[in-house]
Amino acid sequence: MSEVQWPWQYNFPPFFTLQPNEETKKKQLEAWRDLVLEYVKKTKTCIVDVQEADTTPLFSNAAISRKLSLEGIQAVLEMLHQKGNAEPIDKTKVRWYIYWHTLAEWADIFYQHAQENGLVNSVCTLYELVNTPDKEFTGLNEEIVIKILAQLQKDGKAELILSDDGSGSGVKFF
Amino acid sequence: MGVFFSKAKRSRVSEHDKAVLQVKQQRDKLKQYQQKVEKQLETERQLAKKLLNEGKRDRAKLLLRKKKLGEQLLSKADAQLENLETIINDLEFAQAEKEVIKGLQLGNEALKQVNTLYSIEDVERIMDETRESIEKQREIDEMLQGVLTNEDEADVEVEFEKMMADSRVAEPEPKVPIAEPEEFVSLPEVPSEEPSSPEEASEEAEKTKPSPDKEKVKSKEKVAVLAE
Repeated sequence: MSEVQWPWQYNFPPFFTLQPNEETKKKQLEAWRDLVLEYVKKTKTCIVDVQEADTTPLFSNAAISRKLSLEGIQAVLEMLHQKGNAEPIDKTKVRWYIYWHTLAEWADIFYQHAQENGLVNSVCTLYELVNTPDKEFTGLNEEIVIKILAQLQKDGKAELILSDDGSGSGVKFF
Repeated sequence: MGVFFSKAKRSRVSEHDKAVLQVKQQRDKLKQYQQKVEKQLETERQLAKKLLNEGKRDRAKLLLRKKKLGEQLLSKADAQLENLETIINDLEFAQAEKEVIKGLQLGNEALKQVNTLYSIEDVERIMDETRESIEKQREIDEMLQGVLTNEDEADVEVEFEKMMADSRVAEPEPKVPIAEPEEFVSLPEVPSEEPSSPEEASEEAEKTKPSPDKEKVKSKEKVAVLAE
């Protein structure tokens, strides 16, 4: 896990206040989007809880005594949602999945891995898939992996094998 | 319901695949168990070291015995993990073998179909026809070789003309003697490099009589020698 590179805005107090000017606000949200994706990628964060945002340095900078408001966090997440980089886990919109690659991009990454490692036309467990060492998807949340593989299943490149008895799930690539 | 039913039919996951998946899942669980035990062992080792530093030797020894037991469990887990890996490899290789046999069977059936298209008698007839065609082609080739005589005559005429052209090219050869005077002219220059004795100089003067220009050069040299 490499060090997070904080952009200059992170130390700029107005960055943590939703701007009234529409053009400035647009730029602000774009900068927040880049920061969030960079942060979750470096820390391999898959889920963000709006109510627990204070526990992470992502939305609060103690050095300048600033933190993004709840309204601001929701605005950022909605923007990420439109771009395909975030999705609410439930209707309450408190907890969100964050994808630093879109699901379609992740699907390509997984399928390329399957082709390069002779996994085509064979089954493997989701556990061994996400525990492949030294991969960008190493340690990725299993629920997100299922969403990604569902994309490949839609394209006919994979078939999910989901068990109801909780003994673990698998996938077969084609 | 019909949609789900049809989807189930389209599944490309076989019972064999499901069996392999189940064995792999057991392998994963075993690996996770190993990780848990290893973490516990490390924790207890650190605790034993701490107790030893505090002088509690008996409790430290007790923890080390417990650690030893954990290590034995790990060894057993390793053995079972190896068994599971072997089963997985055998299952997957059996699948590969099945594919190979299927391929052989398909090839064999294709070969049978091809063989039914031709009987031995058909093959013999085809071979005879081929042989006859070859003989006909050979006769045609021999006839064409007879016609080649005319071409040979044409080649002879071409070569004759070439010989005539070569004889004409031989005429410029008399030009070669013209080069001799140039060689003659270059001879006197060599002795001029050694003007040490006057006798040699006089001999050179006699040789260069046909060239008035060079006589002047030689006379100048005489003056230079006399001055020395």
